[in-house]
Amino acid sequence: MRAAPRTPDDRATAPESDGSALAETDAGRVPVPPPAAGRGDRAPGPARRRRRDLAPLWLMAPAGVVLVAITLAPIVFLVFTSFTDYDQRTLFTGAYEGVGLAQYAALLQDGDFWASLVRTVLFTAAMVAGSVVIGMAVSHLLTRLDRGVRFLVTVVLILAWAMPNVASSLVWNWLFQPGYGVVNWLLTQLRVFGDMTQTDWTQSPALAYTVIWLLIVWQAVPFIALTLNAAETQVPGEHQEAARLDGAGELRVYREVTLTFLKPTLLLVTILSIIWDYNVFNQIWLVSRGGPDGATSTLGVFTYQTAFVGFEVGQGAAISVVTTLLLLGLTAVYIRNLLRSGEDL
Amino acid sequence: MTTPSTAAPPAAPTGTLPVRAPASRSRRRRRGRAVANSLALVFCVVWLFPVYWMVNTAFKPRSEVLSATPRFWPSEPTVSNFTTAVTQSGFLQNLLNSVVVVGATLVVAVVLGIFAAAAVSRFRFRGRRAIMVVILAVQMLPATALLIPMFVVFNTTGLLGSYVALVLAYVATVLPFSIWVMRGFFVAIPVEVEEAARIDGASTWQVLVRILFPLVAPGVIATSIFAFIAAWNDYLFAYTFMQDQSRYTLPVWLASFSNPNTGTDFGGQMAASLLFSLPVVIFFLIIQRNLVSGMSAGAVKG
Repeated sequence: MRAAPRTPDDRATAPESDGSALAETDAGRVPVPPPAAGRGDRAPGPARRRRRDLAPLWLMAPAGVVLVAITLAPIVFLVFTSFTDYDQRTLFTGAYEGVGLAQYAALLQDGDFWASLVRTVLFTAAMVAGSVVIGMAVSHLLTRLDRGVRFLVTVVLILAWAMPNVASSLVWNWLFQPGYGVVNWLLTQLRVFGDMTQTDWTQSPALAYTVIWLLIVWQAVPFIALTLNAAETQVPGEHQEAARLDGAGELRVYREVTLTFLKPTLLLVTILSIIWDYNVFNQIWLVSRGGPDGATSTLGVFTYQTAFVGFEVGQGAAISVVTTLLLLGLTAVYIRNLLRSGEDL
Repeated sequence: MTTPSTAAPPAAPTGTLPVRAPASRSRRRRRGRAVANSLALVFCVVWLFPVYWMVNTAFKPRSEVLSATPRFWPSEPTVSNFTTAVTQSGFLQNLLNSVVVVGATLVVAVVLGIFAAAAVSRFRFRGRRAIMVVILAVQMLPATALLIPMFVVFNTTGLLGSYVALVLAYVATVLPFSIWVMRGFFVAIPVEVEEAARIDGASTWQVLVRILFPLVAPGVIATSIFAFIAAWNDYLFAYTFMQDQSRYTLPVWLASFSNPNTGTDFGGQMAASLLFSLPVVIFFLIIQRNLVSGMSAGAVKG
């Protein structure tokens, strides 16, 4: 071995200089692997090391301790809080009592909670459907464009995606501002809806939902379109060409060939969208504050208002536990699909 | 796949589907491309409009911002909105708060994350899969599940409103995906590199520090950017924890711009939004290629 002219230091620097850009793209694709991701050529190396090694223990320990202290412990504490009557008074005196399942019993009888749950499910469905359908269309569109146009669309998508949602919510409020909002003005110019310049979008539930839906979909489409497009470019062209030669129309080629290959990625993207849209808070809070009269108060907003506006922290914790449990089911489905699509944990 | 196939072999008619002549197909495809390009341009106009309107408003003088007929171009471009935003009370202090909190979060998350990522990618040990599942699952929690218990604990310990409280909250949200993203970079390094060093007598520590860490440097950069974006953009934790205006971070400062009793200054608000978004947009463009990898662990939410 000593005969080898290279030292460990040489090896450390050599691959870095010639292959870093490539390694970066490879790694970039890992978690949402296209159907034909070539991961099989890698030797299952770490498994070869059989001897008991304490290294992973001390490597994992610092992060492990911190994660337990600041994520798992708070969740345990959340569950604990949901069994108490922690409220505004407790913030000052520190006194609270265990009330068993009373918070949950109260929750089940609370019409506002059920309304909020139904609202969340329906609104999530509407946002996910909108962003996935538009995302699929844009992803497909991207495959049939000239280079320059393709680049332009990608940049536009990234701009929309990159806007911090606090900023985009403010922009939205300005676009839809009664009196000076440019969208109000544009809609008035259409002469279909009458004079809309003074329309206050947040004063009507339907309009408030429309505005928030547009905002969420606007920012969700880029991720979906770019992820799907990355997978779509991996679809072997021969299959589509063969279908075309057999006389299948473009729509049929897409439905029966492309979509078959896209299915695993599409599934992951859809589940992620459901989880994120279900958790949306900032945009609703900054555009409508859950109003008018609680009409857009989804579970996130409802929890926040209960815990931090009414300061019924115990009750808020109970809602949060229920929300988390509902979400956990979805998360399980997500992780199972991630594993099935070839991700090795 | 999309290049017109001039030399396409004559297709054997299969089934009942009619066969079209190759010439008409290629003409059809060229027309299809023109349609696709124009559709794409329409899409760009629609999707870019909110960004354009933000920039447009930010450079307008007040009289043009508040005009009944919107102006699609500032006739007298001005930077006065930016000066208003930057000189507004608290901007510098709040910017400093953001920088301190985000910086501390980055350092903690990357240092802890790189060791943990090495552990879960270069070793097989009992409970490794469980750790990865927990890391993914934590990422999907609703924000209130961490917000409520942290608020209660920080309130009783007197940490509410301090940098420490916010840094802890951000590490909790950022560390899981940091481990996930860096793990992807570790996995991409062939084992042979590591084994060669071991044969040469390097210890585990030497392999890590002298061989693996330099190789995952791009991953550290990508992770730092993801972590920066997540912490920089956070509104909910800062809004709940930092009740004193001098302790606001920039997102809270930005949202409080729309304070109704001072009368909303839309020009200033758009200028502030632009300034606040700019670093994020730049970073997004830099790590464009890695965006998809971070997403599946919830690094940058859609």
